[in-house]
Amino acid sequence: MAIVEFRDYTWKYSRTKEPALKNINLKVEEGTFVGIIGPNGAGKTTLAYSINGLIPNQYYGVRQGAVYVLDKEVKQYRSDELTKLVGMVFSDPEAQFTAMTVEDELVFGMENLGMGVPEIRERLDWVVPLTKIGPLVEKPPYEVSGGQKARVALAAVLAMTPRIMVLDEPTSMLDPISRITLFEVLGELKHKQSNTIIVVEHSLEHLIPLADRMVLLYNGEIVLDDETEPFFEQMETILEHDAYPPEALRFFYEIGQKGYYQGPLPFTVEEAAQKLEALWQGGE
Amino acid sequence: MNKTILGYVPEESPIYRTHPFVRVFFLLVVSLFPMCIAAPEWNFILVILVILLMRYSRIDLATLRFYVPVSMSMGSIILISYILVSGHHPEFIQLASLGPIRIYFERIRDAIVVYLRVLPMIFITVFFLSTSRERDIIVAMRSIRVPFVITYLTAMALRAAGMVMEDFSIVRQAEQARGYDPVGKPIAYKLKQWVMYMVPLFALSLRRADEFSNALVARGYNFTGVLKAPKRADYVLTHYRFHASDAAIIILLSGALVALMVLRYRYGYFTLEGSLTSALLHRWLLR
Repeated sequence: MAIVEFRDYTWKYSRTKEPALKNINLKVEEGTFVGIIGPNGAGKTTLAYSINGLIPNQYYGVRQGAVYVLDKEVKQYRSDELTKLVGMVFSDPEAQFTAMTVEDELVFGMENLGMGVPEIRERLDWVVPLTKIGPLVEKPPYEVSGGQKARVALAAVLAMTPRIMVLDEPTSMLDPISRITLFEVLGELKHKQSNTIIVVEHSLEHLIPLADRMVLLYNGEIVLDDETEPFFEQMETILEHDAYPPEALRFFYEIGQKGYYQGPLPFTVEEAAQKLEALWQGGE
Repeated sequence: MNKTILGYVPEESPIYRTHPFVRVFFLLVVSLFPMCIAAPEWNFILVILVILLMRYSRIDLATLRFYVPVSMSMGSIILISYILVSGHHPEFIQLASLGPIRIYFERIRDAIVVYLRVLPMIFITVFFLSTSRERDIIVAMRSIRVPFVITYLTAMALRAAGMVMEDFSIVRQAEQARGYDPVGKPIAYKLKQWVMYMVPLFALSLRRADEFSNALVARGYNFTGVLKAPKRADYVLTHYRFHASDAAIIILLSGALVALMVLRYRYGYFTLEGSLTSALLHRWLLR
């Protein structure tokens, strides 16, 4: 069953001439990990906001078609109902902090959903170690490092146990180590929980190994939508539309174009190293 | 060390044995004490008591030196204001005259009275801000059942103040990085630059407000629906216990305020007429 579905969905912000999203048709199955990629201005954030109801509830604009979550139109949900289903992590984690300590930040959403103290305590005991923020709970959220902020933001949403997690460029302000840590947490979520995870991301190196499916947006339209492996077989289309795949993948694509390599493209540096070794030894 | 609004205080400080509400209560009630006391020497004793309390709470007293320039400027402004613009009474005793300005004994005395009323309030506020975090203010409000919406708006206001300061610092650094140097420039130039700071700051604030609003909605915060339900768990409060000693401090402070008011307004203690400072000042200035 599709847990999220865009049906002929078009959205134009009132302040712009061109629609940010044009005639989007997209189905996301429950439990899948979907990567949304595309250059700046492609409509990725608008797509993310359309899933959790910020669009059209918080923004002025013109809408055609509809977005459905669990077969009910997003517009028809009460905001607290939708919050239980869709959790959103924003690109600037600090901007979403509204509390005085990390713990208050984690608790805020759960209190909004009407949970009692025992349930809140139970969820804190689960989410704090999962996101590795144990030593931070007493600190003000805006005083921790960038990577820690991202994990706190993720934990605050996770604690509400939404069925769908939407992450809008969660690593855009992180250093490489923090990116790895965040994707490790997302990997644990994917493998241990049954959440549907939709990640809007520029940095593909860590996203690709986790993603079941990739969607390429360009100029408000879906250009490519496929499972991850076949998606990257269409490298020409990807490159034509200003999406920049990881260096290792790009390297093998380029040497493939020159006739030195044939076969599936590597998604990680480790895979690339193995393939390079095999090439070096003349095995592939 | 515990990071407080004004600095750091050791975690083992005895002040943390008190409930945050007691600290807010201390701020509100003890700040009223100087209003009931006209005699400057008693307010001076109050300042000393607050400093002793700071020492007991293990606040680094060296930080008080930051407030010396502020205290001195404030004292000067009060004195000048009282001499220049507070008028006079036919019975006032003139001490001297500087051209058209006549200096009266009563005005200097009144300036000292006011200054020593404000000074304890500053020390009490510094004491409070040195021993409390933003969260303590919210906890104090929630423990007396202030509606969640109000406590949350207060929390957001405290949070927003820090964000605006941070944004201001970024904008200023960006200006300086592009060669802006106000040193030696006329005041009109500096004022114009300050107005220029406001434009990006305003735009940033709007963006912040937008992001804040999105973050609240995304986590189910709404002025309707579940939030309006009668029972909303308050997890934060589960960390704090209200002890018998807290109640005792509150009773003691309330009692002290009542006693002070009775002594002042019924029995005439702490008045200017019986003030030792006023008598010494009178003797010294009118020698």
